[in-house]
Parts: sequence; structure tokens; C-alpha cells
Amino acid sequence: MWRRASTWAAEAAAVFAKEWRCEFRTRYALNTLALFALTTLVTISVSLGPLGISLAHGTGVLPVLLWLILLFAAAAGLPRAFVHEEETQSATALRLAARPSTVFAGKLAYGATLTAALEALITPLYLAVMSSAVARPGLLIAALAAGGYGLAAGSTLVAAIIAQARGKATLFAVLSFPVLLPLVLMAVALSREAFAGGGAAGTTAEMTLMQLFLYDASVTVAGLMLFPVVWNP
Amino acid sequence: MPASLRFDGLHRRFGRLAVLRGISGGAAAGEALLVTGRNGSGKSTLLRCLAGLLAADAGSVDYRENGPPLGAAERRRRVGLVAPDLAFYGELTVAENLVFFARLRGLGRERGEALLARLGLPGDRLAGALSSGMRQRLRWAWALLHRPALLLLDEPFQNLDAPGLAATGRLLAEHLAPEDGGGEPGLAVIATPSPLEIAGVAARLDLGG
Repeated sequence: MWRRASTWAAEAAAVFAKEWRCEFRTRYALNTLALFALTTLVTISVSLGPLGISLAHGTGVLPVLLWLILLFAAAAGLPRAFVHEEETQSATALRLAARPSTVFAGKLAYGATLTAALEALITPLYLAVMSSAVARPGLLIAALAAGGYGLAAGSTLVAAIIAQARGKATLFAVLSFPVLLPLVLMAVALSREAFAGGGAAGTTAEMTLMQLFLYDASVTVAGLMLFPVVWNP
Repeated sequence: MPASLRFDGLHRRFGRLAVLRGISGGAAAGEALLVTGRNGSGKSTLLRCLAGLLAADAGSVDYRENGPPLGAAERRRRVGLVAPDLAFYGELTVAENLVFFARLRGLGRERGEALLARLGLPGDRLAGALSSGMRQRLRWAWALLHRPALLLLDEPFQNLDAPGLAATGRLLAEHLAPEDGGGEPGLAVIATPSPLEIAGVAARLDLGG
């Protein structure tokens, strides 16, 4: 049992390492995500800026804008997860060598770390340019971690479904809408609590965080169960 | 019990086009089945069905290695495939590609290095920068990496020069009839548009077209 689990983990780790090695060679997703996020960040900061939003409105609007930046930046880079392999025909070699679940897990780990890197770059910049203080930083980090993972998991799942279809970009937008919408709403609600500092322990924020974790777990399990069906004939 | 392959009554359609119509055949350990036929006759489709990459509409594939028949998922991971549409990661070097696939299969890098040397492949060159002949050699190295009992070879000698033909011919011969201590003999299904003289061919299957 332990041996099987360690073999499975080694396979997933190999896929994860390969994804990052290819990414460092081409820097396709890194550049797309970073440039898209920075452009949106600059646009928002110039348009609204610290003086554009009153403090009263700030805690309501700022989390929404932050998650919009993260959502659209992720949507620009994460769908490539499987499309690249189908386009270059390297998917067949991977199909013949790896178990579907390890491919999904490796790609998901790559998407999650890529999203985490994006959040680590964007969030401090965003808080600085908007001159915004966060009342509960721990809660914001939890929202970013759980929300970012959910964003990667949902995107990886949808990317797997669309990889072999025509009109991939349109399909990704259509399919990811119902998958990612609940996640973004929860992440925004949680981040709003973090910015405003309202609520005591055990109230709304903790409930929302629990729901985010449940969402993450559901999408991960759904991905692991669905992926072999969409990946193999 | 050594490995064996038997397929019966394989049918496969793509829309209205029936590509495979009740195809049967097989090979035992140490044997090769040579499948011939014109372009579009279904050779590649047959090999993809045998590899478990394509589900047949009807018919059965019975492939076993010292035990009960293996299902499509197991077959996929066990076979070695050389095919024209098989590609690798162009951003990685030849050696990095083989190391990646060896890791997926729980293997060390020694086997890949040995195959690189035997096939005369430059390990440090990006896979995306290989010539078509070198790409074909890399397909051979990839297919033999995990010492599969069943080799599925779809136009395996295309684009190879004389040294490439000699190297792959030797590897195929060793696969079918290993030297002492080289393990059990394997089997192969070889698809080519025109008949070839290959040692170890025990049966022929003409798909016409």
C-alpha cells in the first residue's frame, strides 16, 4: 500500500517537475500571468488609486478588484495546462507512460504553485499601490491560499475537459464560469472580512473559509475521478 | 508463461467510414506480425487499438504477460510504441525527455543513456531541434525504455539513414530473440505500407485498402 502510494507520488512529482522545467524554458505562462496581472493592476491603480475610493467603500471594492485581477490573470495562463500537449502531440507519449491520476495531480500542483507565485507577486503590490491596510492579514492569506488553490483546481479540470475539443478558448470561458463563480464569490467574501476586520472567531469568515476548503476538496476529487475519462479513449 | 497477443474481429469506424472490419491476428513471444496495406487501410488505427489508445467498436484484444489478459489501461502502460505522430517535449533535451519518462515508469537513467548511445542520439540537443531521422531514433529509444514485451511499430523505419536502420534493426532483433541472460523474448506488430524483409516475422496480415 505504502509502496503504491510512494510510486504514485513519485509519478506526480515527475509530472510537476517537468511542467516547471518546460515553463522555465519557455516562460509562456509566467510571462502571460505576470504581464496580464501587472497591466490590470496599473489600470486599476491609475483609475481608482488610493484617493479614488473612500475608506468606507474601499473595504467593499478592493477585495473584488484583487480577485478580478487574479481570476483573469489565471484564466489567461492556466488553460494551457493540457492544450500545449495536445497541440504538440506529446500527449500520446504521456498517456502511454503515466497514470491519468498522476498526470492530473502533477498538473494541478503546477497550477497551484503558479497561482501562488502570482498571488505572492500581485497582492503586496496591490496593497501598496492602493494604500490599503488589511485588518486580518492571516485571514487574507488563508483566503488567497484556499482561493488560489481552488482557482488552479477548477482551471486544471476545465483545461483537461477542453484539451481535445475545438474552440478551446470559448469552451474554457463557458465551462469555467459555473465552476469558478462560486469560488470567486466565496474568496471575495472572505477577503472582504479580512480587509474590514469584522466578525469574531467562529462566525461568517470561518464558515466561508470552511466552504472554500470544501470547494477545493470537491473539485480535486471530481478532477481525479473525471480526468481518466476525458484523458483516455 | 511468455507474453502473447491475440486480437479477433476488431471493428472501428470514424463516423461513416469503417476503417477496421473484423480484423484478426496475433503473435507469440519471439514472433513479429507484419501488417501491410495502403495508406488509409487502417494500419495505424489497428496499432492504436492494440495499444489501448483507441477503443474498438467491436472485437477483442487478448494480450497477456505471464498472467491473465491485460485491460486497455494496463496495456497502455506496458507496450512500446513507435508511431509517426508520437512527439516529445520540444523544450526539453533528448536526455531530459528520456529521464522524465523513465521517472514516470520508476526507472533510473541508465537504460536511457544506453539507448542514446546505441541509437547515436545527441542527449544534449533539444528534442524540438531534431531532424526527422533523429526524431525517429528518439521514438525508438522511448519505446524501448521500459523493456516492453510488446512492441507496436508503425512505419518504424521511415526517415532513418543506413546507421539508423542498422541500429534499430539490431534492437528489434534483440527484442525478439534476446541473447543469453537478456530476459524473455518479446513480440512485435509491425505496420508498413509495403512488405519488408524483417527477421522474426512469423505471420503477415494484409489490410489491402
